[in-house]
Amino acid sequence: MTQDTTSEPDLGLDDDLMAYVDGSLSAEKMTEIEARLARDPEARAAIASWRHHDNLIRQMAQTADDLPVNMRISALERELVARLRARKRRAFLMGPALGRIAASVVLFAAGWGAHGLFGSAMQMTRADYPQFVSASVTGHQAIRQASLQQAEFHADDLDAALDWMSAQMQRKIDSPKLERLGYDVESARLLETETGPLAIFHFRNSDGERVTVSITPHAPDQADYKLRVVRMDKDSMAYWTDAGLDYLVIGDVDAGRITTLAAAVRE
Amino acid sequence: MSLKTEVMLHTASLRRYALVLTRDPTAADDLVQETLLKAIDKADTWQPGTNLRPWLFRIMHNTHVSEWRRAKTRSDAAPDLPEPVVPDHQHTQLELKQVLQALDQLPEAQRKPIILIALREMSYAEAARTLDVPLGTFMSRLGRGREALRQIVSGLGKGKLAVLNRKGRI
Repeated sequence: MTQDTTSEPDLGLDDDLMAYVDGSLSAEKMTEIEARLARDPEARAAIASWRHHDNLIRQMAQTADDLPVNMRISALERELVARLRARKRRAFLMGPALGRIAASVVLFAAGWGAHGLFGSAMQMTRADYPQFVSASVTGHQAIRQASLQQAEFHADDLDAALDWMSAQMQRKIDSPKLERLGYDVESARLLETETGPLAIFHFRNSDGERVTVSITPHAPDQADYKLRVVRMDKDSMAYWTDAGLDYLVIGDVDAGRITTLAAAVRE
Repeated sequence: MSLKTEVMLHTASLRRYALVLTRDPTAADDLVQETLLKAIDKADTWQPGTNLRPWLFRIMHNTHVSEWRRAKTRSDAAPDLPEPVVPDHQHTQLELKQVLQALDQLPEAQRKPIILIALREMSYAEAARTLDVPLGTFMSRLGRGREALRQIVSGLGKGKLAVLNRKGRI
């Protein structure tokens, strides 16, 4: 009995060749495939064709970018965004995130209970700083001590979180813009404190430095706080009042950096 | 990225995908509009926190399949394909036309994986989710489709390109 040893393998079923064409191979695997292609003209021809056909199809697809703006599509986009935002809000209020909020209040209570400990470590007294500063510092310390798992909103939920926070605080709350300084928002929380709602945003940069920004309505019976930068044990913080809201930025950075971060939040 | 920015980016991608599917700018925009209308209607089926792109593309895919089955417009329009807009070069135009004609000869199950991956906007896994098939099935359809496309184009090319070569036009 003879076997047909000359039949060609089905190149289309070779996942490595597919991944090579689509640039999704590791560098090591890429080198291996390139060595194989050097001695396999049929595979080389197939890859060249697949890639060429992909390029032609993509070029044609990209002509859609030059089509005139379609006003009907733009209107539908806006409507879809509104519906998806509402969907996120509902999902947040109906889903596990609400549980996370409840957990955050518990966490806050625990953090507030531990305030004496943290406060003494930082040589802070309530007389030194406004009450909202103490609460925020406690939140920051608590999240650092309790690590990431305490996040109430992930970055993906931020739009819904901001909508919800704005409703709770009865004013528009925007996410602090620290991305251009290399900080990405990791989580956000809304706490119910003795002085009212307190929105807290936790950021981290690629070096692992954590920064916390808090926003709370300014107490109407208090004078506005001018910008103040304070260097503490490991942390620096800056706080101020602007347009009826009290802001605090705190992080394990030096005073110069905290001033830059505060300026970014104020923009 | 804000939800608004995300939706705008995905709509631009949908428009590109629709243009390849329909080969006609007006039909492409109609398909995008129909897709967005259905997405608005089905907004409650989207799971916040999951990627919007496969969800939107799946809606477009289903919309296109149902419209195509109803009207069979694509096959009727095939002989009268508009000239591709991008490539000015005659050779490239002819090649693109051949590739599009060859795509039309492939089964739907192979055509869409090829187009989705050619757009370079989705991973294999996302594209498989868009088409509601397991990743293994998707890879097999993509590979078989690409290879079938190559064979068909190769057959077409031998005829038409040879004619142009003889006429000294390319």
